[in-house]
Amino acid sequence: MQKIMIIEDDPAIREELALLLENEGYASLVITEFTDVPGQAARECPDLILLDIGLPGKDGFSLCAALRRVAPAPVIFVTSRDAGVDEVRALSLGGDDYITKPYSVPVLLARVKAVLRRTSGEPEPSDVLNVGRLRLSLTKGMVSADGRAVELTRNELQILACLMTRAGQIIPRADLIDMLWDSQIYIDDNTLSVNMTRLRGKLAEIGLPDAIKTRRGMGYQL
Amino acid sequence: MTFGEFLSDRLFRIMVQLLCVALAGLFLWATGTQPGVLVILILALLLVFAAVQLTDFFRQRARLRELEAVLDGLDQKYLFAECVPAPKNLYERRLFDLTRRAGRAMTGAVSDARAAQREYREYVEEWVHEVKAPITAARLICRDLDGGASRKLMAELAQIEAHVERALFYARADNPEQDCLLRQVNLGKIAAQAIENHRSLLIWSGVRVEMDGLDCAVYTDEKWTVFILGQLLQNAARYRGTEPVITLSAKPLGNQIRLTIQDNGIGIPAHELPRVFERGFTGSNGRNRGGSTGMGLYLCGKLSGFLELGLDIASEEGKWTTVTLTFPAKENLTKL
Repeated sequence: MQKIMIIEDDPAIREELALLLENEGYASLVITEFTDVPGQAARECPDLILLDIGLPGKDGFSLCAALRRVAPAPVIFVTSRDAGVDEVRALSLGGDDYITKPYSVPVLLARVKAVLRRTSGEPEPSDVLNVGRLRLSLTKGMVSADGRAVELTRNELQILACLMTRAGQIIPRADLIDMLWDSQIYIDDNTLSVNMTRLRGKLAEIGLPDAIKTRRGMGYQL
Repeated sequence: MTFGEFLSDRLFRIMVQLLCVALAGLFLWATGTQPGVLVILILALLLVFAAVQLTDFFRQRARLRELEAVLDGLDQKYLFAECVPAPKNLYERRLFDLTRRAGRAMTGAVSDARAAQREYREYVEEWVHEVKAPITAARLICRDLDGGASRKLMAELAQIEAHVERALFYARADNPEQDCLLRQVNLGKIAAQAIENHRSLLIWSGVRVEMDGLDCAVYTDEKWTVFILGQLLQNAARYRGTEPVITLSAKPLGNQIRLTIQDNGIGIPAHELPRVFERGFTGSNGRNRGGSTGMGLYLCGKLSGFLELGLDIASEEGKWTTVTLTFPAKENLTKL
């Protein structure tokens, strides 16, 4: 399990953030004493550090330089200061990323994941999703089953990928729209219906007409 | 100063001089001076007095012109008293002293007002940064709530954030050079960020956003452009029609880039169109729907002026509104 160190002076934020990261499968490590932060980091060896800039005592900039000397962990600045110079300064001091508050939770998680992947040298997530007989190739944009394959458009591909990563669960339409907006597909409810019908048509072509179930009043389920 | 003004200003003195000449003439005539001598004497006296007045007039006029030239050459006119030439007589010295004292009081008042304004701006920025912490906490807490309530709260939080953001940029708009960082940015990244910032409002409004040709580089300040684009997106969502679609498309125009933001919303009446960038102008749409502050487009206009962005708006009432942002070519930027 990867360990994430949270250096943040607002108690409400750091507790909720810790909870969020634990729900996402990370181990979180909350700093409450700001006296010897580099020492604590050196002892705990976190995989990633989330660092606020406005802290009691030393500010985040000088802390970042100190952390860089003792711990190899990547640092993501999370701050409400949004002046361009702050960002440049943070990145030039060895920060790996810079996120401004108030951030949206999916964005924060995506950035955390990206930095961890980049620094730990983990391979890119698998390009192929498998659920039952369905096999989806993300880079080729092809879905296949039992040797029959069909090409998908970008929207259909993302919808199917969302459903497949959470196979078995019921996904409300609103959540699905949210996830599509995360992937920079900015569609509305009607367009989702249209895309869904097309996607089902294509799945029928490869012999799986009822792969996506509609749960009335709740959403879709694969 | 004209000669007429000078004469009317000196009227009393001239009358007294003429009276003296007349009295002297009368006295000499009564004591038996020859009329020929008298006439010569009076003419000579009048000539001397006129010569004195004339030299006075020309000297005063030259002096006034000199002082006016000093004032015209000043950027801060209230520093006039500090820059005047040396006084030429007692009266001028006293007068300059008075103006200098008045000027010093003014300089003090101006620098006090400047300091107060700067402090206020700093406080607003500080306040905005502080208020962002509870907003962030509230957002994180929202994740624990069930779907419907969480979504509604997220939308309300997004509204608060939009207001806070406008306050921040309003405070910054007076001294924009302090935070401005012009550099090369991908237009698609700017658009994605602006959409991300206002996604709750956009999704809740049922908006579909289409993008075309945004994968190009522009030279601008990223944050400010995101802010400007965000204001335009909010307007498009707020004044939407049925089945709202917002289209963002970019086209090169020489070595400039023109970004068009088009919606199919309720549009703006033609007679209100020239006034939409005025401060506090809400228009009939804003009044009918409420919640309009008249600040969004005003700030857009002000900031884009500083970023040297071309900002134009066109609309057909009941059909569409199009805003075009023209990004300057790199070599035309004076502040880079």
